[in-house]
Amino acid sequence: MDKQKPRTNCAHDEWNLPDSGITPEACYLHRREFLRVFGLGLAASALLPPGIRAEPAALNDSLNASYKLDGVKLTPEDLITSYNNFYEWGLSKDQPKDLANHGWKTRPWSVEIGGSCANARKLDVDELIKLLGPIERRNYRHRCVEAWSMVIPWDGFPLAKLVDVAQPKPEAKYVRFTSFLDPANCPGQRSNDFAWPYTEGLTIEEARNQLAFIAVGLYGKPLRNQNGAPLRLVVPWKYGFKSAKSLVKIEFVAEQPRTLWNQLAPNEYGFYANVNPNVDHPRWSQKSERVIGAGFFSGKQPTLMFNGYEKQVAHLYAGMDLKKNF
Amino acid sequence: MNTADVIEHQVREVSGVQERCVPASSSMLGTRFSAKWFLPQLLVNVVANKIFALSVIIGVGIWLLVIPVFTGALGANPVEKLLHQTGEIAIWTLGAVLSLSPLRVLFPRSRLVNALNRHRRAIGVSACVYGLMHFGFHLLYEGDAQAIARSFSKPFIWLGLAGLSILVTLAATSNNFSIRKLGGIKWKRLHRLAYAAAALLIYHQAIAGKGHWYIARWLLLSLLVLQTARVTMQLVTKRTRTSQP
Repeated sequence: MDKQKPRTNCAHDEWNLPDSGITPEACYLHRREFLRVFGLGLAASALLPPGIRAEPAALNDSLNASYKLDGVKLTPEDLITSYNNFYEWGLSKDQPKDLANHGWKTRPWSVEIGGSCANARKLDVDELIKLLGPIERRNYRHRCVEAWSMVIPWDGFPLAKLVDVAQPKPEAKYVRFTSFLDPANCPGQRSNDFAWPYTEGLTIEEARNQLAFIAVGLYGKPLRNQNGAPLRLVVPWKYGFKSAKSLVKIEFVAEQPRTLWNQLAPNEYGFYANVNPNVDHPRWSQKSERVIGAGFFSGKQPTLMFNGYEKQVAHLYAGMDLKKNF
Repeated sequence: MNTADVIEHQVREVSGVQERCVPASSSMLGTRFSAKWFLPQLLVNVVANKIFALSVIIGVGIWLLVIPVFTGALGANPVEKLLHQTGEIAIWTLGAVLSLSPLRVLFPRSRLVNALNRHRRAIGVSACVYGLMHFGFHLLYEGDAQAIARSFSKPFIWLGLAGLSILVTLAATSNNFSIRKLGGIKWKRLHRLAYAAAALLIYHQAIAGKGHWYIARWLLLSLLVLQTARVTMQLVTKRTRTSQP
């Protein structure tokens, strides 16, 4: 990290602190605790072996020009990090920001790549990032099934790279994504209303599509816990719930995986869950969406087919009845 | 029950509170402000007060709807937050007013319950007002005529609208003039629609969440327990009364 850069006075902006002053834990501490622990961290870091110092302070990313989204306004960072559907931490969207940051650790974090693939392995998230880098930035539209939307600058790498490394066998037709299971620390996972852990799935063709993305950062900084740290799926042409957060397992499977929302309410949340203004949710229309950050009286904007990514993904569903396979 | 009975019934309730206040306060004088008598009596007097009731009803709105606007606590999607908050206040308020009758049957001698029962009209009308605000925020959230029209195609919204229409009807007839005009029996029958509204709105609230129904389930459970206890109590008292010579 560039030590010449001026230090900001924002406590959670751990980005601009010198390497030596940071313990891995400090990255994930609650704002108020940060200053208190920062002093301890300074002292402790001298004693720590270099391997424990988690990650480079800044994501060395560069914008992929194909995903610039010209003329579209990015959603402010504080809104992206404070409005999260992350039921592991609570049902209300302002809870994850608070509850996921009471010392919950996302480093070290191991990710298992398995199922029908030649190169199954379990590895640390930082190893995986190194293996699949360089990290690139992509500005993606994000459309929630609840009819609101954001535009998010993700940092990460194409899922296709991971698929290539894993070398799935021919019988692997789907990819199953599994999030962490930690009911001791996650209040939401102590409820039996949901079949934890969170699971999601894609067809292998969808996983190989250039748009499918594994995000490890947001606005050039590692993902916050409430956004699915340390790594999450991002499939921008599908409703947000398909983009599973805080992944621990990625498996290649022969059968269509059962997913949490599809199991819970199959009539509301289909396996494909492609953004489609012509197929309503049973309780609301999907024709338009509320733009987060647009203001009190902004109303809604029209929703685009495949969330505006028709050119890139429509061929995946050629000949398919999208009203049935919603 | 005729018109005069309904009105007199209400008047009796009100004076009942005051009558019961008298021996308590005289005993209070006798014991020279003994805390044992003074505090519960003070509580009953405060709860029975109209201004207190109105302050609580309006205070909830100020605390949950107005102050957050200025502190930024509404978050990234403020209209959605207001939409949900008004809906939740409305349904809890409706639950509160529906628990008053069972409480009165179960604890006929409780001064606190009788004091609370003085405010059933105010609480019922406020459930309707918060419900109307909820509807207003729905219109604002949808934003334009087309989106609003699309939202009206969903049974989820019909349930809410049907429940709200009942609340509006009941609130509009929550005055002595309507009781006189309709006659006590008719008025009472009309106002039993509150239970239909509760059923519709609890279902509306239950399906509003994505696969969870925490609020609706707690509300439904408490109302069912209260109503079951009330009906049992009424049957038991009826039997003991008729079995007596």
